[in-house]
Amino acid sequence: MSSPSATKNAPPSLLTQRLNKGASKDRQVHHLGGYAFGPLLRIERYAMGNGLSILLVEDHAALTVVYHTWFRVGSRHESPGKTGIAHLFEHLMFNETEHLAAGEFDRELEELGAESNASTWLDWTHYDIAVPSSAFERVAELESERMQHLVLREPQVESEKEVVANERRYRVEDDVEGSVGEQLWATAFERHPYRWPTIGWMADIQGFTVEDCQKFYRTYYAPNNATLVLVGDLDPERALAKLQECYGGYRAAAIPEPPLEAEPEQTAERVRALTKLTPTWKLNLGYRSPALGHPDHLPLSVLTEVLFGGRSSRLVKALVRDREMAGDVRGSLSPLRDPGLLEIFVSGREGFRADQLQSAVDVEIDRVLAEPISLDELERAKARIELGLLQGLQTNEGKASTIGFYEVVLGNPAAGFDRLQALSEIRPQPLRDLAVRYLGRNSRTVIRVEPQPGLAPAGDAE
Amino acid sequence: MSASSPSVLLERDASLPLIHAGISTRSGADEDPQGLEGLTRIAGRLMRRTAGGKSPDEIDARVDRMGASLGLDAGHGGVALSGVVLERSFADFMSLLEETLAEPGLAMDELERLKRETSAELVEILDSDQQLAQRWFLRSVFEGHPYGRTVIGSEGSLAAISVEDVRRCLAREFRRDSLVFAFAGAVDAERAHRAASAIWQRLPDGGSVPPPPPEPVAAGGRRLVFVDKPERTQTQILIGGIGSHPRDADHFALLLANTVFGGTFTARLTQEVRAKRGWSYGAYSSLGYDRQRQAFSMWTFPKAEDAARCIELELEMLQQWWESGITEEEFVWAQRYLVQSQAFAHDTATKRIGLRLDEMLNDLPAGYHDAFVERIQAVTLEQANAAVRNRISLEHLVVVVLGTHAAIGGEVKKAIPSLASERIVPFDTE
Repeated sequence: MSSPSATKNAPPSLLTQRLNKGASKDRQVHHLGGYAFGPLLRIERYAMGNGLSILLVEDHAALTVVYHTWFRVGSRHESPGKTGIAHLFEHLMFNETEHLAAGEFDRELEELGAESNASTWLDWTHYDIAVPSSAFERVAELESERMQHLVLREPQVESEKEVVANERRYRVEDDVEGSVGEQLWATAFERHPYRWPTIGWMADIQGFTVEDCQKFYRTYYAPNNATLVLVGDLDPERALAKLQECYGGYRAAAIPEPPLEAEPEQTAERVRALTKLTPTWKLNLGYRSPALGHPDHLPLSVLTEVLFGGRSSRLVKALVRDREMAGDVRGSLSPLRDPGLLEIFVSGREGFRADQLQSAVDVEIDRVLAEPISLDELERAKARIELGLLQGLQTNEGKASTIGFYEVVLGNPAAGFDRLQALSEIRPQPLRDLAVRYLGRNSRTVIRVEPQPGLAPAGDAE
Repeated sequence: MSASSPSVLLERDASLPLIHAGISTRSGADEDPQGLEGLTRIAGRLMRRTAGGKSPDEIDARVDRMGASLGLDAGHGGVALSGVVLERSFADFMSLLEETLAEPGLAMDELERLKRETSAELVEILDSDQQLAQRWFLRSVFEGHPYGRTVIGSEGSLAAISVEDVRRCLAREFRRDSLVFAFAGAVDAERAHRAASAIWQRLPDGGSVPPPPPEPVAAGGRRLVFVDKPERTQTQILIGGIGSHPRDADHFALLLANTVFGGTFTARLTQEVRAKRGWSYGAYSSLGYDRQRQAFSMWTFPKAEDAARCIELELEMLQQWWESGITEEEFVWAQRYLVQSQAFAHDTATKRIGLRLDEMLNDLPAGYHDAFVERIQAVTLEQANAAVRNRISLEHLVVVVLGTHAAIGGEVKKAIPSLASERIVPFDTE
């Protein structure tokens, strides 16, 4: 295998000139610029006349192509009583279309040797297909077909509702961590749609009708609400010509803004206690955190790494290793369009109650509020973040996911590398100020999970 | 006669400043003495935590400072100390591996801490229905065979492990002739060999690959193991028995037939269980291997009310697959799928090195992965159908159901024809 390299192609301006000759306005492709994507690769941005965004990365290291379609619709676009429709719809997109009977879409992809999947979250939905590069053109035909020609019928919708209900049982109802995480967000947010889970509440999932699904499809599945991310062994001119053929006939739609209500500032700690069938106490905390595009997000992600990243981080060392109170401690900062949560999950060891776990967490949080972190801790956190980004770019799939994610959330597909560069500017003292700003107890939500009495060993310790 | 240089595998790819490096042994938890289950895993982890006589805190901070991760995995047939590191820290990373293998401190207090942590892991597993079902499935299919033994250990076996046991285990595992060094990423052959040799020279001479465990034998008729856990809205169901190994002449034929049965999203199982009935989010069948045949298994997780009907359907489908085989149309489709999708088996350096290690550590026929496409193309429909009848037993089947017995136990039992035995185990049984 060779290293990635770009073949000699016509410059984008000449390329689009050739492609647009005689093309209708909707079908025309315009080059809108490019971005360096690491030292060896480049993202080229194109847009079609109908509003479809295209991000293209040539990388001939392997004879494969990854084809992502990102829609700017997620559970933030839903409303109470209709939660989970973005995710249900993601499932329905693998069903019948006007030109493909039920099951044929997947069957044909598999025959091409494809790996395909999809995911939905708060801000977006994305579909990914990886194929040997010789199959690119057929994938473009299949993907474009389901963007506008999906057929929604009662039996498929009913069956898929049942599948999603089973997915919910698997991920939430019968999963302690899944159900606790859901309660954390539902308690931390009172107005913003981030308060309901992407998979939806069970009653809502079971209540969807074919009409609900058709309405959602007509509203959000339009070319001007989508970005294609193509990475791999591609000839840009041939690829764009194929996209013109497949998507050029589609019309832009008026995409409504989601009915967002601004989340009021949290002024007091919120606490909920749950009882679950689990052998040990659990603790889930959420501090209000900035949106991904906010200048505080990157430094706060460094601080999160100092506190929770790896075995030498402060919280893991204190709770798992030194005091042996917890089997697992994790912290993560949500990467969202709107303000989210810095989430902490602690799974206690036998004999340690949630209040003891919380006191131990508070000791470490208070320490970071009181004194700056050391230079060594800072450098370790930066190195871990760098490693994480690079590890995500080892496959075409990883590259496309990174590009698509930053594009739909920030509008900048190369933001991952921009953030990496900005890391060098981060210093210890401002991190302490940041901790003071975001890690106050009044802006946090606490979920404590007690093991169901009689089913699990739990008691006093120390 | 001992080798004069280390065994080194390398896949170079300089597109990112990352290097994956690992050292694998060719014997693992199957060598743990009776009553000391979990020894290999504990010994490896203790070695990782006390490299160069340093404290775990110092080592963990050093790993993070490098921009690296380093872990130790113990399996039935081997142990792998491996990680990934930013290219600029490669030399320090290899020094740490050297200190890990050549100068482990093996402090007693750390061993005791590790045993307590492992005990806590055993408790945590009680939260995972999937892991509990899997544990009982392997235990039941491989009853009396090393593959049915635990790799992590039990409360009793962990308590019995001493520092001397750990020393004996490491002395057996990490000898020159037992090791394979593997590198993938931004490292050239000269640098990789130099780094491997520096470690290899500091290890004791000799070592050998133990013989593989005996061939597992299907027996016991149809057995139901019900893992009883209160308040389950959903079940975890595993059905299966002994599978196949790449050394079997009909392995590729069975792989192809299984692709049709439950190997992909459009396979028979997913279509019947998920697409048509909506009963389970996932429905797959798979074939595993180690140095010997591992399990053939079907996995579904329907809601409690659908569990019995789902088992009934799966058993009918299994029987129909066994008796009637797959069709010509299905055969052609599966062959195309397996050939085309091979592009993703080796599209990165880390995957390619993984395949080479797999071949070496699991006693695969030489060139197994390189000849994959050719061998799949050589299979005929008749061979695929004969392989199902030859390898899959309808008589000796294990059915593991994790659910709430009081709610569905009776229905589940009725759903299994010719049931030879039933066992109900509380979910927190070790």
